[in-house]
Amino acid sequence: MRSMAETAGATRPGAIGRRTGLALLASGILAGGARTAKAAASGTVTAAVHVSLPPAWLDPSEMPALITTYMLVYALHDALVKPMREGNPAPSLAESYRMAPDGLSYEFVLRKGITFHNGDPVTSDDVKFTFERYRGVSQKLLRDAVASVETPDERRVVFRLKEPWPDFMTFYTLSTGANWIVPRKYIEKVGDPGYKKAPVGAGPYRLVSFEPGIELVLEAYEPYWRHAPSVKRIVMKVIPDEATRLVALKRGEVDFAYSIRGELAQEAKKTAGLRLEVAPDGATFWMYFPEQWDPASPWSKLKVRQAASMALDYVSINTALNMGASRITSNFIPKHLKYHLPTPPPVFDPAGAARLLAEAGYPGGFDAGMYWCDSSYSNLAEAALNNLAAVGIKLQLRPFERAAFDKGFLDKRYKKGIVQASSAAFGNASTRLAVWAIKDGAYAYGSYPEIDALYSQQLHELDEAKRTAILHEMQQAIYDNKMFVPLWQLGFLSVAGPRLKDSTFGSIEGFVYLGPYEDITLNGK
Amino acid sequence: MKQYILRRLGYSVLSLVLLSLTIFLFIRLTGDPATLLTEPGASADDIQAVRHKLGLDRPIWEQYAWFVFSLLRGDLGDSFYYQTPVLELYMSRLPNSLTLAVAAMGFSLVLGIPSGILASVRVGKFWDNVGKIFALLGLSVPSFLVGLLMILFFSVYLQWLPSSGTGGISHLLMPAFALGWYFAAAHMRMTRSSMLEVLGSEYVKLARLKGLPESIVIAKHAFKNALIPVLTLAGINLIQMINVAVVVETVFAWPGIGRLLYEGVSFRDFPVVQGIVILGGAMIVVTNLLVDIVYAMIDPRIRMEN
Repeated sequence: MRSMAETAGATRPGAIGRRTGLALLASGILAGGARTAKAAASGTVTAAVHVSLPPAWLDPSEMPALITTYMLVYALHDALVKPMREGNPAPSLAESYRMAPDGLSYEFVLRKGITFHNGDPVTSDDVKFTFERYRGVSQKLLRDAVASVETPDERRVVFRLKEPWPDFMTFYTLSTGANWIVPRKYIEKVGDPGYKKAPVGAGPYRLVSFEPGIELVLEAYEPYWRHAPSVKRIVMKVIPDEATRLVALKRGEVDFAYSIRGELAQEAKKTAGLRLEVAPDGATFWMYFPEQWDPASPWSKLKVRQAASMALDYVSINTALNMGASRITSNFIPKHLKYHLPTPPPVFDPAGAARLLAEAGYPGGFDAGMYWCDSSYSNLAEAALNNLAAVGIKLQLRPFERAAFDKGFLDKRYKKGIVQASSAAFGNASTRLAVWAIKDGAYAYGSYPEIDALYSQQLHELDEAKRTAILHEMQQAIYDNKMFVPLWQLGFLSVAGPRLKDSTFGSIEGFVYLGPYEDITLNGK
Repeated sequence: MKQYILRRLGYSVLSLVLLSLTIFLFIRLTGDPATLLTEPGASADDIQAVRHKLGLDRPIWEQYAWFVFSLLRGDLGDSFYYQTPVLELYMSRLPNSLTLAVAAMGFSLVLGIPSGILASVRVGKFWDNVGKIFALLGLSVPSFLVGLLMILFFSVYLQWLPSSGTGGISHLLMPAFALGWYFAAAHMRMTRSSMLEVLGSEYVKLARLKGLPESIVIAKHAFKNALIPVLTLAGINLIQMINVAVVVETVFAWPGIGRLLYEGVSFRDFPVVQGIVILGGAMIVVTNLLVDIVYAMIDPRIRMEN
């Protein structure tokens, strides 16, 4: 958890940096994890959840491309390697792992004595079964890349690739559910429908009861390898309305309320006993200029795009709309994604923006068309629009409900003006660039040939240093070209009640929910 | 009579076919569920994989044919979001919706009918004006506002009632009031107008001329006859309360069908929205059909007209 006292951009205590993590990945020594003695689990923590919880999320084999799924997966299941407080990625069920020097195989060694909730040991056979059973997001990509999965003994599993693929670990351990291990014997016994009703995992909590979309009850699995959970029961109660979630928290009906924003967040901050918390790694939002490749458009001029960047009062917008909890950035690739390039913070300079517009041939500004956005974040759009209007860039707001907005974006219908884009997708800098900045990317209305060339170059580069350098060069080119103008990286606000000592909220890099669940503690324990 | 029933049955089937076509097409105009079942910025391959899995990459006529074919077998399809059969989801939420709807209906009738009678026998006087204000408030103040004000007052300030969820009677009071509030006003208006119509009829005048006490005239002669349209309206309203109590169930986190419909719309969960609309529509169509048949049975003029 990060309290509001800490400011955006600070390093999270206890987190291992990306580079350190990489070094440890190479040497495979980030094992740790000796089970420490702890008092028996007791007490109940109830979390008011803002989204409906479907049964499909109980089974990692059907993992959709939705980060919210991990809210349940982190409790019920465990992965060979996963983002944790101690590192991103950190070994979990695997005590070590390494890539072969030729990049053609990856070997994972399982911890000794780890078990599923039904007492069955976690074996290499379960790892292989999990991979073969996986049918969620990016499964074709993984299947096409992997030639075979070998299990030389109960604790060792080797993935052999058809050709070197530098993004194998990104997809296998971060972006898909193929690495979250499920029990072969149990599933073969109960079948897929039976598994969805009574899932057994290797995570810190086991399922007690589940009413889809209503309530989920979990109980501590004390033999969990990392340490026994401190809290005996965790209840996730779906309360769709934000105000009702806050009321339930104030009344002590729940101990944690997800997604409390704006005025309600201010109200929570003022309320004695409640603690406003921030998960800093939410979606990144930016302005996208679909006309930048049209020579007849003002947006094709770099100075105009630079002026748009300088017109935004980032700090005031952040303070007014999100209590200053969002991270101000000038790179549309967030800090927690691998290969991120830190770029200088953006500057608010309306006079400079007006000067740049004049130099570009628009001394009085210009009519820039529409500002397209997802209506859920039209408050952010309105603030940006007002700032742009102040320097003479006049736009009309066109908010759409998310499904319609995304469809229009994907169908390339927003040809004039500015599109307010956002992404919370998993992966690394390369996967994000592929979607937004490269020729034929799903959301790319155009591209720059030099950036396209660099993209192809890094795709098969096994040398981490060289690949990092190429991806940094691409991000620098995007920054210099003002291909995108980031608005913020959303700080996801939630509120903890007085009983919670450590909610763990936002404590895992790139993860905006409670977790690791076994680390949640209550006051007085 | 047989011909009349068959004709009404034909109209009912036609209504359901048109309803299924309308909801099937309109829900598809509202956006792409695949983009909501992936994070913003997901790759084109991931989005396409979701479309393929949900069968949304097939031609629209094929999707509709499959939908109708499944419907005829009593299968409403699987929810895109929950990935479980819609009928199973619907039935799991039905008891909660029934509980809430019955409580809200009880409240709306208890409040609406007596106030409607009072307003009708005191036309243009104090109680009629009170009734008019009540009806105006009931029909114009949105139920989410009523719900939030009640939560604020009874849960936050007085700490008497739980703010959300299900449980005992204490959980039911606020959502039942918030849901019944609007319908109480509607029932009050209907009772008032129906009573006024009956009170002006010849047989009520005759009852008064016979010297019957006013209470007997109102209770026995006027009210019993005025009640028929009120109960017909209440029957239709009960179906609405069961199926579309979207706002109240969302505000109070009441796990009913209305909340399921809200989620269905939010996630463009086509099968859920289609299923709830079809089931709700079928209930209304069947109710209307039964009412028509009963009317025809008791009133020969309706039979003859048709």
